[in-house]
Amino acid sequence: MSQRSAGSGARRSRPGRSQVILDDDEPDVSSQPSSSQVQRARCSFTPQQIEQKVAEVVQFILIKDQKKIPIRRADVVKHVVKEYKGQYPGIIRRAGQTFEQVFGLNLVEIDSKNHVYILVNKLHPLPGEPISMCPGSPKTGLLFVILSLIFMKGGTVKEILVWNTLKKLRVYEGVKHEEFGDVKKLVTDVFVRQKYLEYVRIPHTEPLEHEFRWGARAEQEVSKMKLLQFIGELHNEEPQTWTQQYREAASVESNPR
Amino acid sequence: MAESRRRVSRGSQEESAGHSNGFGGRNRTERVADTGDEDEGAGPSGIHEDDDDPARRREIRSQYRDLINSVHQNREDMLNPANNKLIDVLEEANKLFANVRQAREAALDAQLLVLATDLGREKASQLHAEGSSFDPSAYAQHLLSFMGLNRLEEEDGNEDDCSDGYLPPDAWQRLSKRVESCFKTAPSFHYMLGSFLVEPPPPRQRIERQRKAPSKEAKRVMPIQLKKMEESHQEATEKEVERILGFLNKYYADNSESPIPYYDFVIDPTSFSRTVENIFHTSFLIRDGLARIYLDSEKLPCIVPVEEGEVEPGGATTRQQCIISISQASWKEIIKAFDIKDGLIPPPEEPSQEDRQE
Repeated sequence: MSQRSAGSGARRSRPGRSQVILDDDEPDVSSQPSSSQVQRARCSFTPQQIEQKVAEVVQFILIKDQKKIPIRRADVVKHVVKEYKGQYPGIIRRAGQTFEQVFGLNLVEIDSKNHVYILVNKLHPLPGEPISMCPGSPKTGLLFVILSLIFMKGGTVKEILVWNTLKKLRVYEGVKHEEFGDVKKLVTDVFVRQKYLEYVRIPHTEPLEHEFRWGARAEQEVSKMKLLQFIGELHNEEPQTWTQQYREAASVESNPR
Repeated sequence: MAESRRRVSRGSQEESAGHSNGFGGRNRTERVADTGDEDEGAGPSGIHEDDDDPARRREIRSQYRDLINSVHQNREDMLNPANNKLIDVLEEANKLFANVRQAREAALDAQLLVLATDLGREKASQLHAEGSSFDPSAYAQHLLSFMGLNRLEEEDGNEDDCSDGYLPPDAWQRLSKRVESCFKTAPSFHYMLGSFLVEPPPPRQRIERQRKAPSKEAKRVMPIQLKKMEESHQEATEKEVERILGFLNKYYADNSESPIPYYDFVIDPTSFSRTVENIFHTSFLIRDGLARIYLDSEKLPCIVPVEEGEVEPGGATTRQQCIISISQASWKEIIKAFDIKDGLIPPPEEPSQEDRQE
């Protein structure tokens, strides 16, 4: 909230904004600071109206992002943009600008065919500084273990290897974990829907086998170099020890997507 | 070559030869050394006996299955670059294959081959052309150390055994904290005062409840009412008929000489509707042959109960039907004409009447 209002302030440093919030009269966007424009522009598609839509889209995406499930264009259009559909490219571009300039986030289209977006932090976390105020979720650790395993194994690992490794870490495939709950579901469903992992059937296997790969969100969010550095730290080795992985990490680093 | 000769000599087992081809190709040299000569020596007839021995075939199959199972179970071990178990398995399979004669066994052999190939592929993928390889179990051990595993005194035990040691409750938290910096996750957006109350769901529930409740009640009440009415109606009629028969028998027993005039019997001078009911019920007695009506010397109808013995003799032939009609006026007229003071059939008791009405 504070973040956002600071944002809108920056976007339109207009005096009297706080009063506008008070006499906000549109219930479904009740916390929209920019709703002054509702009153100001009741005629069709003025720049102010577009601005208003952009703000709505920003808020919609922010809230949708809470669950880290990628956001689909179809949903944005259906729930927010509606009759402004023709203006969509402009609106989403400006929403992206807002995210970048105001929130320090990047709105990334991870699937340009189906138009699916995620939000990625644009700012690099400072070492030793907590990223968020809330304590990190232990799930991040679990996800890291799986992602690192995939990365170190050349991009693909069989499901069985993941479970065998997790077993050593006291996480069992079919057993409810006190922190992760239904681990199987978390790994093969939640992480997959969040696009951290890809979970695909290996063809021609009997019985059925699956393998894991990095999902599109992981590619955007996770720094391979940092991952490799940590792994080196654990093994008490230089990251360069793993030549191939190091090369890959370095190439991503030098040409960020 | 010996291999091809062997195939020809088997003749009927083209299929089996086809199946085992891949495997055969792989082990050709060994197999030729092992079995080629024997095959040649044994000749077609000898092989034929061998082929059809079900016990032997069963044994081969079970050995194959054991081998396949052990590969499945020791998969991780076999993948370890430090051992040669995969080769052991292949050699074992070669020995078994020497005795394979039919398609079914050969299919198992092929299945094992698929497994072995798969393992081989994975083992190959572990060989990094450059740089050091990555060992997941070593990695897991490092992670455990990082997460603060208290290894107790089992430290000296073997590394793979992961059931020892005590992992502190904040183990994953600790790892998460460290690795968070690898993620550029956008902090998720939350309202400082929590999200607004989501109102819509409760009303929807309420509507459902309201809808459900009356329909349930209606369902519960309707069938019971209907059932009861039907039941009581039928019962009431039957009861009434029996009751009237009781009276008829009683009057007849009291004085079997004098006939009971029909009108005296059915008419209730105090109630026209009771009269109609009596006529209705009495008609059942007549229909069922429990009573009969005849005309006396004055051509007036009289009613008597039919005694046990004489129920059947007349049969249907002597039966006649007639319809009695009575109106309020004729009812009064009859009462006057016959000077009827009291109904012979007393009205049923109050409670039963109430029952019926409910």
